[in-house]
Amino acid sequence: MDTDFVLFVSAAIFSIGAVGFLIRKNPLVMFMSVELMLNSVNLLLVGYSKALASLDGQIFALIIMTVAAAEVVVGLAIILTIFRTRHDLNVDHINVLKG
Amino acid sequence: MFEILEQAWAFNLDRETVFGLVEQSFVFVVGMTAILASLGVILCASPIYSALYLIGHMCCLALLFLFYNAEFLAAVQVVVYAGAVMILFLFIIALLGAKKEERDSSFEKLMGMGFVALLFCELLMALGVGFTRPMEGQATEDAIATVGSAKAIGMELFSHHLIPFELASFLLLVAAVGIISLAKFSYRPIRKRTRV
Repeated sequence: MDTDFVLFVSAAIFSIGAVGFLIRKNPLVMFMSVELMLNSVNLLLVGYSKALASLDGQIFALIIMTVAAAEVVVGLAIILTIFRTRHDLNVDHINVLKG
Repeated sequence: MFEILEQAWAFNLDRETVFGLVEQSFVFVVGMTAILASLGVILCASPIYSALYLIGHMCCLALLFLFYNAEFLAAVQVVVYAGAVMILFLFIIALLGAKKEERDSSFEKLMGMGFVALLFCELLMALGVGFTRPMEGQATEDAIATVGSAKAIGMELFSHHLIPFELASFLLLVAAVGIISLAKFSYRPIRKRTRV
């Protein structure tokens, strides 16, 4: 079992997601970058669960998927509410919490 | 990986070697496609293209899960991520309007990229460490193959990890209640506001 490759791919996807979160201004694309980071961790957990012959990694990945689904739903609802009140999707312009 | 390539170079191949070579090259290609698709997610100016690249990325990851003996997780990945979550993303993009983002290069972006490049190098340092524990698990490839991936995960989930499973269901319930209250009660009629 070659764990170096899965480690490299996972690190690359995590870094790309982190870059996307830092440099993009659209909150939807920032959310997609967060999804990339979560997915890279899932990939690492699954790959190492095969290498270590243990199912704990897959269970962890399943629970991470649950958390990611809940997080996406709540985050998109918040983005939708912000857009309804402000009509603007640039995160640089969203600087007050009070509607 | 490299000893297989050396054997292939020396042309002393048997069936297992050829099979391993094909499998590893397929894993390599799919992994690189996943990396390229994730680059597409963050580099496309229009969010709709980012979402489409993300769907491709998730399908690549599901393929990789298949190669790592996680058939159940691959199915969950396709159904939950590439299905439900991405449909939600596309729906929100269609609702909000997919405006292109204007490109500008600022010092902060360069600083962010430098920071993450440093982070990437730190993550790659794990390559030099390797395993700190010996490989001693029960769920070997044959053990999973006798019961099937979904059943193996189910038995593990309902015996050793029951409380996290129940907490996850509770989390989903809280999220459902939360978005209903967010979408229903916090709505105010749209009013003109002065630019902040």
